[in-house]
Amino acid sequence: MNASNFINPFSIREDEGSFAGDFYTRNFERQARKDSIILNLGPQHPSTHGVLRVLVELDGEYVLRAEPVLGYLHRMHDKMGEVKTPYQYLPNMGRVDYLHPIAWNWAFVGAVERLASIEPPKRAEYLRIISCELNRISSHLLWWGAFVLDLGGVTPILYAFEEREMINDILQIITGSRLTMSYFRFGGVCADCDSRFIKLTKDFIPYLRERLKIYKALVTDNIILRRRLEGVGPMDTDICLRYGATGPVLRASGLSSDTRRNIPYSLYDNFEFAIPAGPSNDCFGRYLIRLFEIETSLQIIEQAIESLPDGPILIDKAPKANYKLPAGESYFAVEGARGQIGVHLVSDGGKNPYRVKLRSPGFSNLSLFAEAAKGTLLADAIAILGSLDLVIPEVDR
Amino acid sequence: MDLSIVSFVQIIVSVLLVIALMVANAVVMVYIERKMAGFIQRRPGPYEVGPYGTIQAVCDSMKLLAKQVFVPGNVDWLLYFLAPVTAFLPVLLLYLPIPFGPYLTAMNVDDGILLILAFAGLGVVSNLLAGWASNNKYGVLGAARAVSQSVAYEIPMIMALLSVVFLTGSLNLTEIVDSQGSWPWQWNIFAQPFAFFIYLVSLIGETNRAPFDLPEAESELTAGFHTEYSGMGFALFFLSEYANMLLVSFVCATFFLGGWKGPFLDGFWWTFIKAYAIMVFMVWIRWTFPRVRFDQLLNINWKWLLPLSILNLWLTAAILKILSKIY
Amino acid sequence: MIRAVWDNIKGLYSLIVGLSITARFLFSPQKTVHYPRKVVDPESLSSFRGPLELTPAADNSAQSRCISCQACVRACPGHCLTVVKGQGKAPIVWTYNFTLCCLCAACVESCPTGALRFSHKVYMVASSRQEMVLDLLSDLEKNAAVAND
Repeated sequence: MNASNFINPFSIREDEGSFAGDFYTRNFERQARKDSIILNLGPQHPSTHGVLRVLVELDGEYVLRAEPVLGYLHRMHDKMGEVKTPYQYLPNMGRVDYLHPIAWNWAFVGAVERLASIEPPKRAEYLRIISCELNRISSHLLWWGAFVLDLGGVTPILYAFEEREMINDILQIITGSRLTMSYFRFGGVCADCDSRFIKLTKDFIPYLRERLKIYKALVTDNIILRRRLEGVGPMDTDICLRYGATGPVLRASGLSSDTRRNIPYSLYDNFEFAIPAGPSNDCFGRYLIRLFEIETSLQIIEQAIESLPDGPILIDKAPKANYKLPAGESYFAVEGARGQIGVHLVSDGGKNPYRVKLRSPGFSNLSLFAEAAKGTLLADAIAILGSLDLVIPEVDR
Repeated sequence: MDLSIVSFVQIIVSVLLVIALMVANAVVMVYIERKMAGFIQRRPGPYEVGPYGTIQAVCDSMKLLAKQVFVPGNVDWLLYFLAPVTAFLPVLLLYLPIPFGPYLTAMNVDDGILLILAFAGLGVVSNLLAGWASNNKYGVLGAARAVSQSVAYEIPMIMALLSVVFLTGSLNLTEIVDSQGSWPWQWNIFAQPFAFFIYLVSLIGETNRAPFDLPEAESELTAGFHTEYSGMGFALFFLSEYANMLLVSFVCATFFLGGWKGPFLDGFWWTFIKAYAIMVFMVWIRWTFPRVRFDQLLNINWKWLLPLSILNLWLTAAILKILSKIY
Repeated sequence: MIRAVWDNIKGLYSLIVGLSITARFLFSPQKTVHYPRKVVDPESLSSFRGPLELTPAADNSAQSRCISCQACVRACPGHCLTVVKGQGKAPIVWTYNFTLCCLCAACVESCPTGALRFSHKVYMVASSRQEMVLDLLSDLEKNAAVAND
């Protein structure tokens, strides 16, 4: 039989001259083995959480090569920073990463404050810390549920949402919204907390600790989950540093690195909390690190809510919509739920910033995937993808 | 068996009854499954359609029936339409030798369990056809998984059933029930606890239920072999999945839990109660555990269940032999 | 070998623990707030940011405090407000396109007279984009009429 007549139904690489598939697929297939399957995971795939697309080359169930394709949720947040005044750009920050919007709020507000030399009042700093840590817990809870969902367990995500709803209720009291919060202002926060907020938060801490015990028995100790995760997708410190991975991914690899400690901002130095470095650098290590971080955040909230000082929440004459940034540049980094969030702000003294560069941790963490997924089973690749805690809007910005 | 007009009519009637049972079972099971999933996850489940959402499953099946028959491009037409039918048809035969009650057997054949095991193996062909014909990479991966999984899990299943057959000395399902007593301690589950456990695990593997639902693992293969099916084709796969579940539960009830025999009053209700209890257990398991990986699935089978079942079979045979020498 | 068997037996125990937890949740009360039959506690909505509304003036609840200074229109990042000045300071057109609004409170905070505030409407629905373009002046009059009745 003539080789050119044989059409492999699972390949479009025979007609290389034509324009079948898009640029990425064609480029990917050019380097592929002749007997492998090229599979497009996503952009509409249940386990890619949104619109990530991953090209994988499969030999049976084994992943030979994987390549993430980005840009399906690109919303030009960087560019929008250049056409809006800093104040008008604030609501964008809640939408970059919808799971941890407060940290993004903080990164941008912090950059502006550093450039304009604004010092927020002490009560505002405490409220920032409490809201940011609450938000971090809710982000980790959703990740936990979604990760187990990736592994096939449907129920835990609904339990996680119970606590997440409670956190949303608490955060709604001060921020006014439940998902895309725009809470921070230059020089403080926009709303003060009331006694109901403090009571709900204080009640929530022991409640969540009880629930975490149930989660441990239901999921963490489950033999199926452990066998699925232990030893899967190891990422050592070296590769994490080379790709610029931060957050729980880096900490699980054994390096105790946290922006809250390494580049202290706000009043984090006043609180006692441990920065855990993982027991193992596999998926299970990353899983444990995140569950431990929930406990860390609870400790911080506990200390902060006990010592919440009185005072104003916003400086007098806080910058408003017509505020002009002084010329210069600044960089501010905070620790988000997924890693180091950074905002680089350049201003030429005009109405709008000259350039806003957002550094999203998910983007760097995702770049590890191609390396870690090599040679694993397809199910393991899904587990690795889940363990990186990707939020696609944040990766694409 | 003489094929007189009476037995012919009997078979026709019983096949119709089996179809009715299958459809009714699918409707009831969908309701039970969704309600149980809801309650486990602390939400109400189907609620709006009918009182407590009881008509929800009927409405869903109406929707599936009324849907456009959509055929994706470049499929193998014949196989694409054949696959759901091949999933559905063998299940019809499988119900014939099941003794629902003392005299409630459609076809009392001597090799009843052989008939069931032989035709149960046909189910995997439909998965293979569906995965291959629908020209979808997820489908092919799902089909490949389905074949190796179903081939693997049939063996310990047969071994577990065989040890009960050793005990009873018959392949006839009615005689197997007759050999057990009315009270729970007279059932085969106490004579063969290991066989029951092995059967229970391989039953989940055989029916592709979570945590062994690898062929249709939605987080890896979207929907596996039936990715490209919608409307009626999907409904047939769905129907046969639940029918298969019910069948293995009936076999389990017959072999290990005393069939129609139960405390106080024997009758077909005991068969149904026991079968549905096993189904509820399967639903409970599905909404609790994450999914195993494919190599682990095969490891569980080849490295644990198969040696265990062979050991169990050998022990059963040895003990029976010793006992028969003594008495 | 013995260790592997022991690990697997322990693993089977962990599965039973998991089953017991879901069984406990199976019989525990539900968490759902079943919307048309139940609604959330209105107290928890006291700071909820719903669609904007005009604050009534102190002396006349059908009158707005707005002085048509256009500060909110300039501050809004989504360009969702239209304020047209009439004779005198009071506005004659005050439309608010809720589809473009991101509920960021820039307008509320930039208003010199405190004429704007967030409503607590959680259950607002519309079947077309046009219905989402709200005429806040007539809404204010409607609210005042309801309050007076």
